[in-house]
Amino acid sequence: MARWLREPLVHFLITGAAIFAIYAWRGDMVDASDRRIVVGEAQVQRLANIWSQTWQRAPSADELDGLIRDYIKEEVYYREAIRLGLDQDDAIVRKRLRAKMEFLATSEAETMVASDIVLQAWLDKNPALYNANPLISFQSVYVSTTRGEVLALVKANALLARLQDGADAEKLGDSLSLPRSVTAATTEAVDRQFGEAFATKLMGLPKGVWSGPVASGFGLHLVRVDTVSAVSTPKLADVRQRVENDWRSATRIARENQAYQTLLDGYDIKIKRP
Amino acid sequence: MAKTIAALIGVSALALSGCDRVADIGRKTETQVIETKFPERVYWGDTHLHTSNSVDAFGFGVRLGSEEALRFARGEEVTATTGMKAKLSQPLDFLVIADHSDGLGVTKAIYDAPRLFIRDPLLRRWHDMMHEGPEGSQRVTAELIDMVGRNALPPALVNPEQQKKTTRTIWTAHTDVVERYNEPGKFTAFMGFEYTLMPGGDNLHRVVMFRDGKKEADKVLPYSSLTGTSAAMLWDYMDNYEKVTGGKALAIPHNSNVSNGLMFELTGPDGAPMTADYARRRAVREPVVEVTQIKGDSESHPFLSPNDEFAGYGDAGWELGNLTMQANKTTAMFAGEYVREALKRGLAIEARTGVNPYKFGMIGATDSHTALATGDENNFFGKHSGVEPNARRATQPQNLGSNQGRFGWHYLAGGYAGVWAKANTRAAIFDAMMRREVYATTGPRIQVRFFGGWDFTADDLKTNMVKAGYTRGVPMGADLKPGTGKAPSFIVSALKDPMGGNLDRAQVVKGWVDAGGKLHEKIFDVIWSEPARRILTGGKLTPVGDTVNLANATYTNSIGAAELATVWIDPEFDARVKAFYYVRVMEIPTPSWPAYDAVRFKVKMPPSVTMKAQERAYTSPIWYVPKSK
Repeated sequence: MARWLREPLVHFLITGAAIFAIYAWRGDMVDASDRRIVVGEAQVQRLANIWSQTWQRAPSADELDGLIRDYIKEEVYYREAIRLGLDQDDAIVRKRLRAKMEFLATSEAETMVASDIVLQAWLDKNPALYNANPLISFQSVYVSTTRGEVLALVKANALLARLQDGADAEKLGDSLSLPRSVTAATTEAVDRQFGEAFATKLMGLPKGVWSGPVASGFGLHLVRVDTVSAVSTPKLADVRQRVENDWRSATRIARENQAYQTLLDGYDIKIKRP
Repeated sequence: MAKTIAALIGVSALALSGCDRVADIGRKTETQVIETKFPERVYWGDTHLHTSNSVDAFGFGVRLGSEEALRFARGEEVTATTGMKAKLSQPLDFLVIADHSDGLGVTKAIYDAPRLFIRDPLLRRWHDMMHEGPEGSQRVTAELIDMVGRNALPPALVNPEQQKKTTRTIWTAHTDVVERYNEPGKFTAFMGFEYTLMPGGDNLHRVVMFRDGKKEADKVLPYSSLTGTSAAMLWDYMDNYEKVTGGKALAIPHNSNVSNGLMFELTGPDGAPMTADYARRRAVREPVVEVTQIKGDSESHPFLSPNDEFAGYGDAGWELGNLTMQANKTTAMFAGEYVREALKRGLAIEARTGVNPYKFGMIGATDSHTALATGDENNFFGKHSGVEPNARRATQPQNLGSNQGRFGWHYLAGGYAGVWAKANTRAAIFDAMMRREVYATTGPRIQVRFFGGWDFTADDLKTNMVKAGYTRGVPMGADLKPGTGKAPSFIVSALKDPMGGNLDRAQVVKGWVDAGGKLHEKIFDVIWSEPARRILTGGKLTPVGDTVNLANATYTNSIGAAELATVWIDPEFDARVKAFYYVRVMEIPTPSWPAYDAVRFKVKMPPSVTMKAQERAYTSPIWYVPKSK
């Protein structure tokens, strides 16, 4: 495909032109300064169809006349309103038109096809979003804070000294149904089990020795961090769906911004703040 | 109007002709995810979330759709409708987007349609009101819900052919997004919808969830309560879905508290005593009930359970009448509205027919209409986008179609479902729901285990409790294995939410039906914090205390316990009597969302507003069924 064909602005204009064409074909595009109103067969048919959809029967001759009269009235008022510039200052009209423009800019992002090259580029640009969390292995001894923080701290420090002297961790501390030994768990899983940011606190600790205490959502823990695996960026094939979702969602926003920016560039903007 | 939308969509498809969607690669499939031998981990989720495709949610102002809802649930930051940034402190593991099938996407279509094409004067007025701004939009929604309750919708909205086309477009676009965001092993996105059955404003709503993917879900359309007018017709629809697709579906009743006694009746639909056939269908189709959510808590009511000191949670406001307040409530209706009573009624119907229609598990959900599955008091985003955080929302009247008695503070912050599954996949989570191995919380992620057996001892808590539970007993949701006549023993274990309040106590709620058919219940405090200080006398336990500081909406975990675990043996067991047992875990008192609002917006709440509460978890029951003679 030629490069210019992939430009969002070109898509934007083509889509806009297509919609313009359809409206023109359906007779909705009328120059407001034109003083002639023609209600064609197609328009009459359309009015009748809308009626039938609502009431589940065709309109009578009288009812159809009423619809046509109403359509003409609307058309007359519409054109006069445009002539008087009543659309200029109307919040609803402005909002509707803005919504239509945004729709034009973004609608096709939903069905766009993403090539591997595009997605790989996205992955390379945003590796942090897809990096496998580091896996962490550690032992912990729990000290309950139910009898107060101070007492718990005293107890924890005493236990730490014993652990550093080589005491058996299995036999020390208060009971808690969380595992004393965690092997190769993601930081996400550790946070989920122990409470916010527990894994982050472990990351800073020295390896292979007992240290702490570290606070969790349950109380205090003496911890021996054994290993922390390196962060690795996954292959596209393993995270393709996720990358595609993110790329699609971001592209939609980018398209809209870009389309807007292109239009905005044609304006000279001055802002005076009170 | 649907036509215009279709025309616009047609244009964008045109611009892209020649492009095909890439096949589904780059993630694990369901079958590649390894299941653990026993359910090792509780998966947290919300089975009841509304987005901009729900008539009322859109009308109330939400502009976020399926994609934002899924991104938020899996832990990403999104911008809420009113412009605030929102992110969950802990991600959820699964989500069911359950938009109302009735008029799916209709308010959005009325809003989006060019005004010129809206012929119906009422719809046109609604279109204009919605464009006026949020208040007009909310008025439209109130009128709309009211008209559904009175079965008085304008013909343009109930025209089945027209609606079918709109629904098809919206449903397939929705299932497409859900399918893209389903990541087996990591985050499960379910297909589903809400069936909003509401005769005369009596709430008989059900969420329907599918075990399957887009391929199956696209073979049906969400079933509308304008087409089906009874629960049994919904079950027919589900039967048909399973037949046509080879898939599986379940339905989750909710807000029995505003059904005016109709959700858990003793009778069948014809008013005669419920038949075994009807009971069987209900039990199979509705294995789980949503017991707590934003629109109140349906576990118990003080009128039914006068001896339960914690029975009144989340009842205020909802006990006045049905959903739309078209009909007031009488005390005689309570028995058909509250879940504990329903479990008892189930035993009574079983005694008569041999089948228990109300043999269900319990879950919590949000029923949020903001596309944000928030369940905690300090991040409550409101029932709908009209009441996203603002200074007045706690004391504003918040009614549906009436001016009577419901105010902002009557709404709870919403709950979550805890699911003991063997993996985070559609199949594993759905199957756990079918076997009722699930529980409800009012928001906090309290981890609760409950096993029933005949020989558990305190030693089982010290060694491998989970293995003991599964190999020598049954988990929540199951029937006790046949016994020998001696009393059953239960493992009850609760671990606090690592980011929440400490635990006050764990209770076993027992219900039974005696030989004369009379229904009974009793609550046992089985384990509590600080036993040295807190004594059980005359059936009442010393209260845990209260550390809530309303001046800055805080509490401290200086009371209560991080974990409670015990083995409990039923001291009043009678081997001849059908019974159920479930666990209720109580947290220490913590501030309710209006207390956070009061601090955040510096407003003084009137004395009637609930400012603090003990949040809780309810497990699914374990049933005891005597050997037939």
